[in-house]
Amino acid sequence: MLVMEDQLVYTPKDFKSSNEVRWCPGCGDHAIMAAIQKAMAGLGKKHEDYAVISGIGCSSRFPYYMSTYGFHTIHGRAAAIASGVKCANPELSVWQISGDGDALAIGGNHFIHTIRRNIDLNLILFNNKIYGLTKGQYSPTTDRGFVTKTSPFGTIEDPFIPGQLVLGSRGTFFARAIDNNVKLCQEVCEEAAKHEGTSVVEVLQNCVIFNEGVHAEISNPKTRADNQLHLVHGKPMLFGKENEKGIVWEHGHLKVVELGKDGYTIDDIMIHDAHEPSRAVHMALINMSLPEFPVAMGVIRAVKTDVYDEMMVKQIENVQAESKIKNMDDLLNSGDTWVVE
Amino acid sequence: MGELRLMKGNEVIAEAAIRCGCDGYFGYPITPQSEVMETLMIRRPWDETGMVVLQAESEVASINMLYGGASTGKKVMTSSSSPGISLMAEGLSYLAGAELPCLVVNVQRAGPGLGTIQPSQADYFQAVKGCGHGDYKLIVLAPASVQEMNDFVDLGFELAFKYKNPAMILTDGVIGQMMEKVELADFKPRWTKEEIQANCGDWACTGKKDRKRHVSTSLELDSELMEQNNLRFQAKYKEIEENEVRYEMIDCEDADYIIVAFGSAARICQKSMQIAREQGIKVGMLRPITLFPFPTKTIEELAGKVKGFISVEMSAGQMVEDVKLAVNGKVPVEYFGRYGGVVPTPGEIVDAMKQKLIGG
Ligand code: SF4
Repeated sequence: MLVMEDQLVYTPKDFKSSNEVRWCPGCGDHAIMAAIQKAMAGLGKKHEDYAVISGIGCSSRFPYYMSTYGFHTIHGRAAAIASGVKCANPELSVWQISGDGDALAIGGNHFIHTIRRNIDLNLILFNNKIYGLTKGQYSPTTDRGFVTKTSPFGTIEDPFIPGQLVLGSRGTFFARAIDNNVKLCQEVCEEAAKHEGTSVVEVLQNCVIFNEGVHAEISNPKTRADNQLHLVHGKPMLFGKENEKGIVWEHGHLKVVELGKDGYTIDDIMIHDAHEPSRAVHMALINMSLPEFPVAMGVIRAVKTDVYDEMMVKQIENVQAESKIKNMDDLLNSGDTWVVE
Repeated sequence: MGELRLMKGNEVIAEAAIRCGCDGYFGYPITPQSEVMETLMIRRPWDETGMVVLQAESEVASINMLYGGASTGKKVMTSSSSPGISLMAEGLSYLAGAELPCLVVNVQRAGPGLGTIQPSQADYFQAVKGCGHGDYKLIVLAPASVQEMNDFVDLGFELAFKYKNPAMILTDGVIGQMMEKVELADFKPRWTKEEIQANCGDWACTGKKDRKRHVSTSLELDSELMEQNNLRFQAKYKEIEENEVRYEMIDCEDADYIIVAFGSAARICQKSMQIAREQGIKVGMLRPITLFPFPTKTIEELAGKVKGFISVEMSAGQMVEDVKLAVNGKVPVEYFGRYGGVVPTPGEIVDAMKQKLIGG
């Protein structure tokens, strides 16, 4: 920690706790934590102003490794507990760390309602499409047909696409990142922190033990330029090694085109508008999947609207201001009392 | 003689379910019992017997799937470990209130809260005193071997259907993870629709024609009628107490002191008894097999013959309360236990017995 002109300047190290990190070597969680520590160091808040809340699962060990306040709580309930923390102490910067099982299976109910309320917290969703802590059962994001310990002949269920749930719950912020791109993780976490309301960041995370390579097609350094589309608000949706490909909107659908081919030029390429309240294009971007499309990364949606905890504080202030009853004496004189004779 | 195999306790639960004609298993992964569902998934019972195996989105979903399945007169079950059973408390109360049969296996780990994944018996109160809200009881079976894990699946279903009440196998991580020789039961076919109509025709949703309307519910807003329902439940629990008490007595004939222990604690206590007897202390053991109904009468009878009891539990002392109620002050009742995931050693138990009960 440096002190410069009366201002605290943190380094990522200041957010590391002294606890031994017990994730498997090579687990994607290590990189995501490094990115979040970098993001927090740059946000100008003191580490005691953060509360990191997790449920149960591998990623839920996160609070132990952070030198911030934090709770390791109940399976599936992190969103409810984080909501309670934020409402009780709106000054804290509250971060929820959950895996796909924790947030979307047992915690699905709390997940959607927290987003619907738009409580100002940052929900980082580690998506490795498997239950790691209980050693390899399928999760609600596991792809249909995938073989796991509880689906030895392939699952017969379709997975949740987390972004769809977020938008379906009237989400105001959704971003996607991947564990082997620390810079991107850091950037989207910073954006999530700045956004007022529930910010959901889905991080595609590799579980080296029980689901090794689940996101390999997306993360592979050789192909990732073609398989990822990095969205930046106000910038054209270009991708490919030379930015030679782009996304256009045609007949109500997204389409991949090559610049200079079939008459397409840079002017035809869509400009990303993360602030657009309508969900249609954001949903289409969330739905893009290989092999037809690249996978959308970065901040897909960031729309400003009312925030629950602010409205809650305001409502209490208004009601108090308008109420004639300011103290006990006022209450006793309010007319709803009588003398026992 | 049935087929002999060397199996883990948790695996046997799965195998026994298939063999006893179980219709459906609904569960959610949790250590130390995920092998139950994993074994079922590998065994593919849906091909062999038509049994359904479903990984639910939570324990709350599992127990409510049981409610649905049980309402149709099917043999349905789930398994979990302590924190997961807490999530099922609501469902169990409703199942008991609606008088629906089902089987729940609790492979206990130490709490409270998330605790640890190490074994424990600290859910005794939760199992025998209700679990959820309201005046109700679960029929609770406590296996002390892999063989009993096998046997109690079928027995659990039998009792659950006989009394239209949820039954629970209360075991722990030791028995769940331990490997032992087991004689498997022969295959029993699943009940046919006709059999379900014959066995559960007056209450189950089977499509049977020309019968009285029945709604599977625990709700009755008229207090007088709700009291009648409760009186019926209490009469049923009394009947269970009269007819279904099961226990094992080891070397109690000449005993001066009695150890009361169930499940894995009873296994350890067998060794303690041996050590104590070698030292000339006449110790016997009463092992309750049913925790509800509890062998109260047997303990009461023993209390007239022995100098004292010690309840040995992997909890902070829960069953000891029921032992004390049964002994009713006739002779001293002591408790010894290790908990929080710690398993007591046979020597520790002997020492505790000498110190607390015998003196010196
Ligand atoms: S099991 Fe998988 S998710 Fe859990 S720590 Fe190991 S690699 Fe990471």
